Amino acid sequence: MGQSSSTAAALPVSNRRETSLSRRFPTKSTATIYPMQPDEEGEVYENVVECPDFTSFIPDECLACIFQLLNSGDRKRCSLVCRRWFGVEGQSRQRLSLNAQSEILPQLPSLFSRFDSVTKLALRCDRSSVSIDDDSLILISIRCSNLIRLKLRGCRELTDVGMATFAKNCKGLKKFSCGSCTFGAKGMNAVLDHCSSLEELSVKRLRGINDITTAAEQIGPGVAAASLKTISLKELYNGQSFGPLIIGSKKLKTLKLFRCLGDWDKVLEMIGNGNSNLVEVHLERLQVSDVGLSALSNCSELEILHIVRTPECTNLGLVSVAEHCKLLRKLHIDGWRTNRIGDDGLMAVAKHCPNLQELVLIGVNPTSSSLTELASRCRHLERLALCGSETIGDAAILSIAAKCAALRKLCIKGCPITDDGMEALAWGFPNLVKVKVKKCRGVTGEVADSLRSSRGSLIVNLDVGEGELLDASGSDVGAQENGGEFPPPSVITEVSDADASSSSNGRAALFKGKFGFFAGRSLVACTFRRWASSNSSSNSNS
Amino acid sequence: MSLSPSTSKMLSLKSSDGKVLEVEEHVAVLCETIKSLVEDGCADSPIPLANVDGATLGNVMEWCKKHADQKASADDLEDWDAEFVERDQGELYHLIMAANYLNIKGLLDLICQKVADMIKGKHPEKIREIFNIENDFTPEQQEQIRKDNSWAFE
Repeated sequence: MGQSSSTAAALPVSNRRETSLSRRFPTKSTATIYPMQPDEEGEVYENVVECPDFTSFIPDECLACIFQLLNSGDRKRCSLVCRRWFGVEGQSRQRLSLNAQSEILPQLPSLFSRFDSVTKLALRCDRSSVSIDDDSLILISIRCSNLIRLKLRGCRELTDVGMATFAKNCKGLKKFSCGSCTFGAKGMNAVLDHCSSLEELSVKRLRGINDITTAAEQIGPGVAAASLKTISLKELYNGQSFGPLIIGSKKLKTLKLFRCLGDWDKVLEMIGNGNSNLVEVHLERLQVSDVGLSALSNCSELEILHIVRTPECTNLGLVSVAEHCKLLRKLHIDGWRTNRIGDDGLMAVAKHCPNLQELVLIGVNPTSSSLTELASRCRHLERLALCGSETIGDAAILSIAAKCAALRKLCIKGCPITDDGMEALAWGFPNLVKVKVKKCRGVTGEVADSLRSSRGSLIVNLDVGEGELLDASGSDVGAQENGGEFPPPSVITEVSDADASSSSNGRAALFKGKFGFFAGRSLVACTFRRWASSNSSSNSNS
Repeated sequence: MSLSPSTSKMLSLKSSDGKVLEVEEHVAVLCETIKSLVEDGCADSPIPLANVDGATLGNVMEWCKKHADQKASADDLEDWDAEFVERDQGELYHLIMAANYLNIKGLLDLICQKVADMIKGKHPEKIREIFNIENDFTPEQQEQIRKDNSWAFE
C-alpha cells in the first residue's frame, strides 16, 4: 500500500535490521514475503502456522537486549533453545563467571569461541579444588584481550609468571580484583606496570607478599598510578607494601583499608603530605592512631569517612579531621565502646562540617549536648543511625527531634530509649520518611501503631522481638556506598562483643572479641599492650 | 528549536499502510528517529514511517503521549506500563520492531523486559513451547552445550 522504496529511504535510519531480517527470512518456508511489511508477514504466517515464532524475526540486537535482562542461569537455558539463540546469547555475553578448576583447561577454547565478546570475567575456585594455573590464565588472556574487568577468587595455582603474561595481553583492564590468591608482588606489579587504564583495584588475602622491607616486595606505583581511582585492601599481612602505589596514585578518590595488619600511620602520613585528592576513606579494624587520622585532615576534599573499630583513634584525631575536612558529607564511626571518641569529636564535626548528610554512630556514647549541636548545626543531615549506645535515651531523642529539620531516615538500634522517646517522632523530625527501631527493649509495638496512625506517610519499621543480639550495623541508613566488593560492616560484626555491652563484667569477652582478629598473629603482643595500657584511662574521656 | 509542550506544534506521521496520524511534536520527539528529523528541519511534510503499520503506530504514540506527560508520577507510569505490555506476542513483536526502528529506548526496554519476564525461570523446552521455536540442535550438540554451561556459574 503505502510501501515504496522512496518512502522507505526518507528515514535516514540504519538498515542493519533490514539486512538482519532478510538474512534470516530465506530460511523460512515463506521466503518470498517482503520483510518490510510486518503486517502482512503476520497475516501470512497465521495462515501457515497457528502462532509464528516471532523471535525469529526480531533483529539480533533486540534478542540480545532481552538476554541482557536475564541472569546467567536463564541465559544458560536460553542457549539451549535453538541455534540462533545459542549464537546470539554467546556473542552478546559480556559478563561471564567461570568455575576456575584446573579441569576447565581443555574446555577453554570452545568456551571462549562461544563467548567471544566477554569483557567482564570472574574466575572462581572453591577451597577444596585445584585451581587453574598460569597456562589457563594465559590462554584466557589471549582469547579475551579486550577484558576490562577481571575478578580472581581462590586461584591459588596462579603465579607471578601467569599474572605478568596476562597483564601484557590485557592492557585495557580497568578493574582488577583478587581474593585468596597466592601470587606475589611481582605479579601485582606486572598488572600495575601494564594496565594503564586501571581505575579500581581490590586485593583481599593475597598470600604471596612477603617481606616488605626489601625493595623487590614494594608494590607500585607503575603506570596504573596515573589512572587509579579506587584502592581496596582487605585482610593482608603486608598491606603496607602497597604504600608506594597508594601514595603515587595522585587521582585516587577512594581508599578502603579493612583488617590489614601492622601500623598504617606512616602510610596515612605520607598520603597527607602529598596533595591528596581523596574523597572517600574507610578505615576498619586497623592499627591507626590519631597520628594517621590527623594526617588525613590534609585531604581537604574528603567527603566520606568511615572510622570503624580503630581502637587507637580518639577525639583528638576526629577534631583534626573535622576542622580541616569541611566538605565531609558522610561520617561513620564505630567506636567499639572504647569511649575514646565522643562528645568532643562530635562537637567539632557539628561546628566545622555543615554539609554533613549522613551520620552513623555505633558503639559511641555521646551525650545530648553534642547531639543537639549536630542537630542544630548540620542543616543537611538526612540520615542518622544510632546503634549500641549506652547514653542515647529518651532525653537525647527529645532534644534533637525539633532540630533535625532535614532528617529523612532515622535508625536506632540497641539504645536505651522507651516509648516516651518514640513519641517525639509523632511531632518532631518534620521531614522524616522512614524510621527503623530495633533491639530497643523499652520500645513496644503499641507506639508503632500510634505512630502509623498519627503520621500516615511515615514508614515505621519496628522490631520489638526479644532479640538479644545487637547487630551494630548502620546499613539501614541507606546509601552507604559499599563498593559491592565487600560486605557491609554488619557482616563483620561479631556477636561476642555485642553481648558484652549489657554488662560490665563482660570486659574479658569484650577483649577477646576485639582482638580475636589480631590474636594468633605475631603482631598481637604489641597491639594488645598498647591498647591495654591506655584502656584504663579511656573511660574517663567522656 | 523549542520542544516544550506549550509551544508544541503538530506533526503528521504516515504509517506503512498509509494511515496518517497527527501527533504533538513534544510527544513524537520521544522517538529519537523523529527527533533528529525535527532538529534537521525535515519534518514538514507527513513523515513516512515505512516500517510501522497504523495500529502499531497508534500504540507507540499512546505510550509516547503518556511518557511525555510531565505530570505523570513514576508510580503512575509504572502501573500504566504494566498494563500497556499486556498484549499477545504478535503485538509485542510489532512494538519491539517499531521501538527499535523509531529508536525509543524506554519503550524498547519495556517490551524487552516483558519478553524477558516470559523467559525467566523456564526450561528450554518450555521456552520453545511458549514462542513456538523449533529445536534445531542434534542431541549431541545439546549435550555439548550442557557440558560447557556447567562451567559457568549461575
